[in-house]
Formats: sequence, C-alpha cells, structure tokens
Amino acid sequence: MATGWAIIIGLIVVVLASVAAWFLSPKGETQTIWRSSLILSFASCYIMWAITFMAQWHPLIVPRRGDLRPEFAHEHKM
Amino acid sequence: MAPKEDTMFRSADMSLTQLYISNEIGREIVNALGELGQIQFRDLNADVTAFQRTFTQEIRRLDNVERQLRYFHSQMDKAGIPLRKLDLDVDTLATPSATEIDELSDRSQSLEQRIASLNDSYETLKKREVELTEWRWVLREAGGFFDRAHGNVEEINRSSMEADDAPLLQDVEQNGQNGDAERSFSVMNIGFVAGVIPRERVAAFERILWRTLRGNLYMNQSEIPEPLVDPTNNEAVNKNVFVIFAHGKEIIAKIRKISESLGADLYSVDENSDLRRDQIHEVNTRLGELGSVLRNTKQTLDAELTQIARSLAAWMVIIKKEKAVYQTLNLFSYDHARKTLIAEAWCPTNSLPLIKSTLHDVNNRAGLSVPSIINEIKTNKTPPTYQKTNKFTEGFQTIINAYGTAKYQEVNPGLPTIVTFPFLFAVMFGDFGHGFLMVCAASAMIYWEKPLKKVRDELFGMAFYGRYIMLMMGIFSMYTGLIYNDVFSKSLSLFPSAWAWPDNFKAHDTVEAHLKSDYRYPFGLDWQWHGTENDLLFSNSYKMKLSIIMGWFHMTYSLCLSYINAKHFKTPIDIWGNFVPGMLFFQSIFGYLVFTIIYKWSIDWYAVGQSPPGLLNMLIYMFLSPGYVEEPLYSGQGPLQQILVLIALIQVPIMLLLKPLYLRWEHNKARAQGYRGIGETSRVSALDGDDDENTLDGRASMNSDGEGVAMITQNIGDDEEHEEFEFSEVMIHQVIHTIEFCLNCVSHTASYLRLWALSLAHQQLSVVLWTMTIAIGLGSSGPIGVALLVITFAAWFFLTIAVLVVMEGTSAMLHSLRLHWVEAMSKHFMGDGIPFEPFSFKQMLEDDEAAADIS
Repeated sequence: MATGWAIIIGLIVVVLASVAAWFLSPKGETQTIWRSSLILSFASCYIMWAITFMAQWHPLIVPRRGDLRPEFAHEHKM
Repeated sequence: MAPKEDTMFRSADMSLTQLYISNEIGREIVNALGELGQIQFRDLNADVTAFQRTFTQEIRRLDNVERQLRYFHSQMDKAGIPLRKLDLDVDTLATPSATEIDELSDRSQSLEQRIASLNDSYETLKKREVELTEWRWVLREAGGFFDRAHGNVEEINRSSMEADDAPLLQDVEQNGQNGDAERSFSVMNIGFVAGVIPRERVAAFERILWRTLRGNLYMNQSEIPEPLVDPTNNEAVNKNVFVIFAHGKEIIAKIRKISESLGADLYSVDENSDLRRDQIHEVNTRLGELGSVLRNTKQTLDAELTQIARSLAAWMVIIKKEKAVYQTLNLFSYDHARKTLIAEAWCPTNSLPLIKSTLHDVNNRAGLSVPSIINEIKTNKTPPTYQKTNKFTEGFQTIINAYGTAKYQEVNPGLPTIVTFPFLFAVMFGDFGHGFLMVCAASAMIYWEKPLKKVRDELFGMAFYGRYIMLMMGIFSMYTGLIYNDVFSKSLSLFPSAWAWPDNFKAHDTVEAHLKSDYRYPFGLDWQWHGTENDLLFSNSYKMKLSIIMGWFHMTYSLCLSYINAKHFKTPIDIWGNFVPGMLFFQSIFGYLVFTIIYKWSIDWYAVGQSPPGLLNMLIYMFLSPGYVEEPLYSGQGPLQQILVLIALIQVPIMLLLKPLYLRWEHNKARAQGYRGIGETSRVSALDGDDDENTLDGRASMNSDGEGVAMITQNIGDDEEHEEFEFSEVMIHQVIHTIEFCLNCVSHTASYLRLWALSLAHQQLSVVLWTMTIAIGLGSSGPIGVALLVITFAAWFFLTIAVLVVMEGTSAMLHSLRLHWVEAMSKHFMGDGIPFEPFSFKQMLEDDEAAADIS
C-alpha cells in the first residue's frame, strides 16, 4: 500500500507546480494563455502518469515469455 | 467602468461607434484606420446599388490604373524581366496623398501608351523580320529546286499536254542531268509559285493541290531546319519552303489562291540565278538593318520595363489600398448639407482610445478646424466575435473557427485546445522517437520562420501554418512516448523493473516473471512488458481504461465550460435546467464507471483473495437489473448502483421540462405586467429613414442630445434578434437537446476508445516496420550485413517519416480534431457568432491572390 502514496505525492507536486504557474506566468496580454496552458499541461500529464502507475499497481497478469534463454536471463534483470 | 483587458478566454468587448468625418479628410482617415486594422464598417447604403454610390467614379479610375499595372506585369513576364518584390513586413509605404495618386495614375497612363506603342512597333518589326527570314529561306531553297526543275521541263510540258491525270512527281533525280537546263521557264509558259507553309499543313496542301489541279503541277519542298517564331503569340512554328511549277496562268492563279487560303506566305523569286543572288544579298542587308533596329527597340522597351519593375510592386499595393479606401467610403452615408461623412463601425472597446487618437492625428495634420467625432452608441445588436490571436495561438484558434464562430463573449474553446488538442493527439501518437522527429520539424520551421513564410506551396503552407500546433504535438508525443515506453517501437530502461524472471529454467520454456517487492515501476510502462507474449493483453486493458478516463476528464471539463457560459450570460435556468441535470446524469453513469476503474486498480485482488469483477458486465447489469451484482466490487454496491441509476433517470424529465416551463412562466409574467419586447411594435432609430430629410432630422436631434444618450441604431426589427416567444419551439428544441445529450453521453464515451485503437495501431505498425527492415539488417553479419544494414536503415528511416510520422500523424490529428469538434464542443459551444472582419490593409493584401506574387 505504501506505493499508493506516490499518487498523492504526485498530485501535491502538480498542484504546487500549477500554483506556481498561476503566479509566475508573465504578465501582459498572454498571461491567460500561459496560465491555462501550463496548468492544463500539468494536469493532463499527471493524469496520464497516474493512470499508468495505477494500472501497474496491483497487476492481475504477469509478463510471460517463451524466448528467454537462461544464459541471457540476467540481462533482463536490473 | 474601466474596460477589462481582452484575453483569449472570451472574445473581445466590442463597441458600436458612429464617426462623423469631414468630407475633405475622409480618404485620409479611412487610410489611417485601414493601417490600424481594428475597425469594421457597417454598410449604411445597403439599399443603394454599387453604381449609385458616391465614389464609384474614383473606383472606376483606380480599376483602370490597376489594369494598366497588370498590363505592365504581363509585359514584364513576357520579356522575362524580374519584378522587384516588396516585403510588406519590412517596407512600409507612406500613405500617399490624393495628388500623388493622381500623378501615379497619369504616369501609368502615359507609360501604358509608351509601352503599347513600343510594343506595336516591336511587333511590326518582328513580323517584318520573320517575313524577310522566310523569304531568304525561299530564295535559298528555291535555287536548288530551279536547278532540278530545269531538268524536268520536258516532262512538265509533256505530262500537262498529253494526259491530265498522269503523275508528275516521277523520279526527279534520274532526269536531273538533262542538257537543256538553261532554257527559261517563261519561254515554255511554265509559271511557278514559291512560299512558306506551316509543316503540319503540308500534307493537306499537297492533297488539295493534287486533286484540284489533277496532278498538273510539279511541287518541290524542303524543311526549314529552325522553327520560326510568330511575333503575335510568341509561338515557334516549323515551316516548309515550297516551290510549285505548273503550266498556264490560270492554274498558277489557282495555286496562289489555294496556298493563301491554307495560310501559306508567298514570296517572289526570280528564276534567274544571278538575280536570285542579288535578291538574297539585298534581303540579307535588310535583315541586318532590321536586326539593329529591332535590338534598339527591344532595348528601349526593356529599359522602360526595368524602370517600371523597380516600383511596380509598390504601385500595385498603393492602388489596391486606395481602391479599398474608396470601397469603404462607399459604405458611409454622405450628408450633402453639412459635407460630412457618417459611418457606423464595430471596434474592440479597448482599441477605442487608439482609434480616437488616430482620428485626432489625421485631423491635426490636415489642419482642419472641424473635428472628427467618434461616438460610442448603445445598441441591442449582436456584436461580432473578435478573438485576438498571436502567431502561437492563431493555429489553435483556427481549429475552433473552422467549426464555427463562437457566440459573442462565450467561453472560447480555443484556449484549452492549445493543450487538449496536442495532448489527445499524443495519446494516439505516443512514441518518443516519432515525437522527437516532429519537434525537430516544427522547431526548424519556427527557427526559419521568416524565410519559410515566403514559400508558396499549398501543402507546405498548411504544415507551416500549424507549426506551433506541431511543436506542441511533438512535445506531448515525447511525453506519452515515455509513458508508453516506446522509442521507435523499442523500450527504454530508465528505472529498474518491478519484475524479475525466475533463476532456474530451461531454454524454450515459457516462464513467468514475478514482482520483486513492493516496488513499482515509477514512470510509465515497465520495460519488462516489452516483447512478452501477453504484452498486448496487458496494454490493451491499460489503454482502453486510459482512453475512457481521459474522455471522461475531457468531457467533464467541457461540460463545466457550459456552466461558465450560463453564469456569464446571466441565464440561471441554463444552470438548473441544463448544466446540473446533465452533469448529474453524466457523472452517475460514467463518473461512476471511472470511479470503479480506479477502485479496481487500487485493490490487491490476490491479497484479498477475491476474483476481480469485470467492469463492463457490471455497467451493463447496473441498467438491466438494478441492484443485482454478480461479482461484488465492494460492499453495498447494489443499493448504491440503484440510487445512481435512479438519479440518472430523474435527470431526464428535469432536463426535458424545467427550462421550457420556466421560460414560459417568465414570459407570461412579463406579459401580465404589460411589458413588451423591444422592437415588437415600435422602432426607435437614429438613422432611420430612406430619404435625406428624415436623416437630417434624426441627426439634428441626436446632435443636440449630445453624447451618452442611449441610442438605438437602425433596422432593429430586421435582425430577428427579438423573436416572439413560442413555447412549442422552445419545447422541441429542448426535446432534441435532451435526447441528444443522453444518447451522446454513451456514444461519446465510446468514441474516446479511438484513443486506444489508434495508439495500439501506431505501436504495432512501428513494431512491424522495425522487424521488417532494420531487424533483418541487424540479423546478418559480415560485409553483406553492413551493406544490408545501410539499405534497411534507409528504408526504415524513410518509411518511419512517411508512414509513421506523416501518415499516422495526419490520421491521429484528424481523430483529435473530431474529439474536439464533436465530443467536447457539443457540451458547451453555442457558436452562432458573427466573425469580426476589420477593415485592414494587411489582411486585405494577405488575402489578395494577385498580391501574392508581388511580395
């Protein structure tokens, strides 16, 4: 369960980054564009990462292969 | 109230303004406003035909000048003189005064005459030259014919005397040595016709002659080796020289007629070889003289055209601008009594100060005592939608505008599109390598922006226009490529894998990996999945769920924008009658689905000792038999699902009835209190009326009222902005909306599965490409292996660019486009706006096709 915290930590990081983006966006005509684009990008990237992480959190199937040779098996360990 | 800053979130605030401009400086003011490009004039003379407008004369004159300039351009093309192009971004042209325009028009008039006369004389001279050349050829070739013909005199005579239909053209060569060759033709009453005829007509010419003269002729011809250029149309024509001998004057006359009717040019040749030599000599001297005259004329013409070429581009721009100014002035109404022009125009509220100062400047420069006045007027007209863009946002905004123009001041979907469009693209296109190639291409286009802007290739132009979209797409593709762990279909092992293979197994055994510990692969897909047998099984389940969740986020986000719209337009009924029931309906079905997906992921089913339930069946049974749960996901699932289905079902009648009933109630209440819609029965208008007197009266009263008085401009009733309330119409509209919304919730969610399908296809295609090219090259060794690798690498690289990046990229882009237009924008976009089309010289010159080749 411990790994589940990664999702929360990631969320906190992204929220902090979004807050920073809100305040640090350059002033002027393009401020809205900066803010919206940065925050949306952070959010989208976080969602994508979180989904991928959670999909592997409690895997229901395991990798299986028949072309592995014992002498090279160590190459697949890291 | 200070006007708030315009952002991309909404279209800019617009004001309808009235301008009073003194007639003398109307041209200058419109010119200055055209340079500014911030104002859209309304047509105040809509009922006047184009010919009756005030400045038709000027436009005609400018049309004529434009035609002359185009004539110069075509002459330059013909002479191959390059036009000095005008870079409109760098060279700014000072606004010309009216006298300068007059000068320009006079000048182009005189230049046209000069060029035309030069051209005429050149053409005549050229024609003369061609004639002389032809004659020279005839003289030269004819010599040989005569020599040969002398040998055949006997035969010509005999055949024409004895048998009318005897063939003439018998073996000429054999009889060539005949002795009495020096006898003159005239003595024997044999005449001849010499000339030149286009080669393709020779066959017909021969046949006709043969038939009409029944073979009573002796014809000689030879090809002129070099093609002759026809000066009238500059076409090269191959021609033949011919000499026809025949017996008798009538026959000769006939031959002449036939040849002339067939387009042959006849030349006089003397049969005496000495005279012929003299003739050739004379022709040669004349040709020489003509040549020098021609060269002179051509030089003068070229010099003249080169002179024009230097400034033609600028002239064209000036004339185009001037014409646009007068066309705009034609939209104004002209007050004859006061000598003022009155215009109505839309402009962004934030540009008003700028426009005011521009007017002031022009007024001061002209030194006029009468000021130009600009008045903001209040109106109930729908202002045009103006989305301010820069070169980065332009492409994204175009994606939205291609679908429809947003309603004035509604949330502009172009803003989130900057991220969502490339991101959804990247979900389908996810490959680090392919994304990198795309970033490279886009960066190159951005770096060499200036020079590439001039490339006028349609396909490249499209890619160039979307260079910033491509950049974003590439960046996000690199990110999703890392998440999918795909680099040109290979994987990166950035972090240690969470999986380990067993230590002892035999070769060719199917082995299963096991988790090392609590550790999970921290970023993206574990590379140990790569190349496994059940790789697809895992990634399909993962990507399918990914697309559903992504779709849910995207649609929920878009639906929220409809709340902001309702809030902005102050229509709370849209919140309670559309947004809230819609949101509840959507969330209680698909929000719940997303929740169960994530919940299922977060449970360690092996540790719990339960079999993981299938979510698809769960969703289906949730509706088919509410309350019944086959494989429980969590306790209390049955009742919760019952409640959710109930919530969703209740929303349908709410969405169907609340808004129409509320609108009816509101309408009836207003009626009961005696209110009527504006424009329903009476009209108030400042510029009402079709005749002058009426206009004058209206204006006089308006002026005395001064500024700030509420005024309502003309033809309110015509715009159908205040429609009669009709319950049945509202009801039908709402029924359609409800049915569409509920069905679309299902079909749109399913539609996001294209994210999975396309990313799967993309990944598999790149795997196939790799195994079919480079894998072969890497498989062999030795010198052949090296050569093979080079070849297969080239094939792989080329196909990667052409198929995987360009083709697959286009397809993913179209799918992303659809997801925005249909799935997202249907949730909030109203899109019945009128685009803002300001009067702008810059825009006009960009749109002008003819201007494209001068800049």
